[in-house]
Amino acid sequence: MGERLMLDGRLALTTPEGVSLALTPAGPGLRGFAWAIDFVVWVVSVSIVSMLLSFVFPDRRLYQGVFLLCLFVSYWGYPVLCEVYASGRTVGKRAMGLEVVREDGLPVGWRESATRNLLLAADFLPFLYAAGLVCMLCDTRFRRLGDIVAGTQVVYRPKPRKRSAVQSEQPVPLPYTLTPEQQRALLDFAERAPRLPQSRCIELADLAEPLTGLRGEASLRRLKALAAGLMGGL
Amino acid sequence: MKQQQFEQQYKDNWTEVAELCDGRGDGTRLPLVYRALCQSLALARQRGYSPSLTEHLHTLVLRAHRSIYGTVPERPLALRDMVVRTFPQRVREEWRLFLVAFIAFWGVAGVVGYLAWYDPNWAYSFASPDDLDEFTRMYQPDAARIGRGGSAGDVAMFGFYIWNNVSICFRTFAGGLFGGIPAIFSVVFNGVHGGVVAGWLTRNPATSITFWSFVVTHSSFEITGLLLSATAGMRLGLALIRPGRLSRRHSLLQASRRAFPIVVGAALLTVIAAFFEAFWSATPSLPPQVKFTVGAICWACVLGYFLFAGRRRAA
Repeated sequence: MGERLMLDGRLALTTPEGVSLALTPAGPGLRGFAWAIDFVVWVVSVSIVSMLLSFVFPDRRLYQGVFLLCLFVSYWGYPVLCEVYASGRTVGKRAMGLEVVREDGLPVGWRESATRNLLLAADFLPFLYAAGLVCMLCDTRFRRLGDIVAGTQVVYRPKPRKRSAVQSEQPVPLPYTLTPEQQRALLDFAERAPRLPQSRCIELADLAEPLTGLRGEASLRRLKALAAGLMGGL
Repeated sequence: MKQQQFEQQYKDNWTEVAELCDGRGDGTRLPLVYRALCQSLALARQRGYSPSLTEHLHTLVLRAHRSIYGTVPERPLALRDMVVRTFPQRVREEWRLFLVAFIAFWGVAGVVGYLAWYDPNWAYSFASPDDLDEFTRMYQPDAARIGRGGSAGDVAMFGFYIWNNVSICFRTFAGGLFGGIPAIFSVVFNGVHGGVVAGWLTRNPATSITFWSFVVTHSSFEITGLLLSATAGMRLGLALIRPGRLSRRHSLLQASRRAFPIVVGAALLTVIAAFFEAFWSATPSLPPQVKFTVGAICWACVLGYFLFAGRRRAA
């Protein structure tokens, strides 16, 4: 697996099949929120379990022992179990659209997950995750100490996006050949046009005057027609 | 080729990949259709098709890539193998670091314990008078069990030992990352504490037997567990300080692989210790001779395990 950091901060992994996959590392802000959600979930579930246990075990001491056992398992085990069995996502990470993956983009296993979560204790030092935060801010991929040691990283989970159909306009062939990048830009514009304000669309269409030979509304219509021609139907 | 033609031509392949990733259909076809999908993505990128199409394909490739390469071989005996072989082997590999932790604990505990035993004034330098009184009270021959409240109390103590001691074990390991200093500090701190308690209670003939018969069994597992988690932590710290010819990141990664079985083993030992400490050590009905014998057997087992387990080659 080759890896390099692109200019936009996305992490490109080259698969054995020769295609490059892009992962977007998640920063401290979102991860902090995810942590806070997990913390609330933990506190709430621990107090619910505590109530249930006090009904099941009327004996104060028996209750205390079982409760501390539950506390231990949930405190150290919850993130690890979530990450291993729920494809790298605790409840907080799920809510924030994040997931933990290995450096090569594959799902984490027991060793990686346990290591990174044990080292939360190191990231916490000297107070309130200061070491982890400093480490994240210094690292190009926002990894905390535990991530670096375990060889993991937290990335955005790729969302399957609804593909919008390009508006039907009478297709027009291109006046001259465009490079693939230019074609992509044109198609991207045509796909995003319905979500952009009209004035912004016209402003952008004006910039494309060398291609369309027109200005304003006419240029915009021509751009859409060219995009339709690129897509097919000609 | 126009984008729409392209989509028409390969649509079936893409839907098949999506279905296979969801676990429907014949899974053995996944590698085949995945390769075709990779080709589609490369073509779509090269030909400048719309970003929404390339992104859609990219997401699909990512999913299929994970389900193909992310499949872990099932290793039902992994934990057993770790306990029987890997753990003692790794511990023997790290004997130098273990020696450091060993001296940090037993050396400090021995010196502090001797001082507290030799001259009780020393004990007050390491612990407050209230604490010392409390220890004396706790280990009065008749108080050991009464303070706990029967078998329910044993469960309460078991929960407490697990929550407290295993967490300390984990924190000691994690702290080791900072150059090993916090791990050593944790070991020395526990050494001082253990030493002063032992020295103080040994001085007093009323508490001496109660104390030693209480700690002799579970300490074999508990102290070894603590020392091993410190060893694993120091391994990480050393990887950071002295990465050798590797980059610091690679050195840490490698050290974490080596340290992991030790941490797991140390946690298991501490759990065993908690079990003994809660359900065995405080039993008042057993004569001290029995406890000392069992304690000696446990120490011999721990020693024998780390010296001999996993020596034979894997069958």
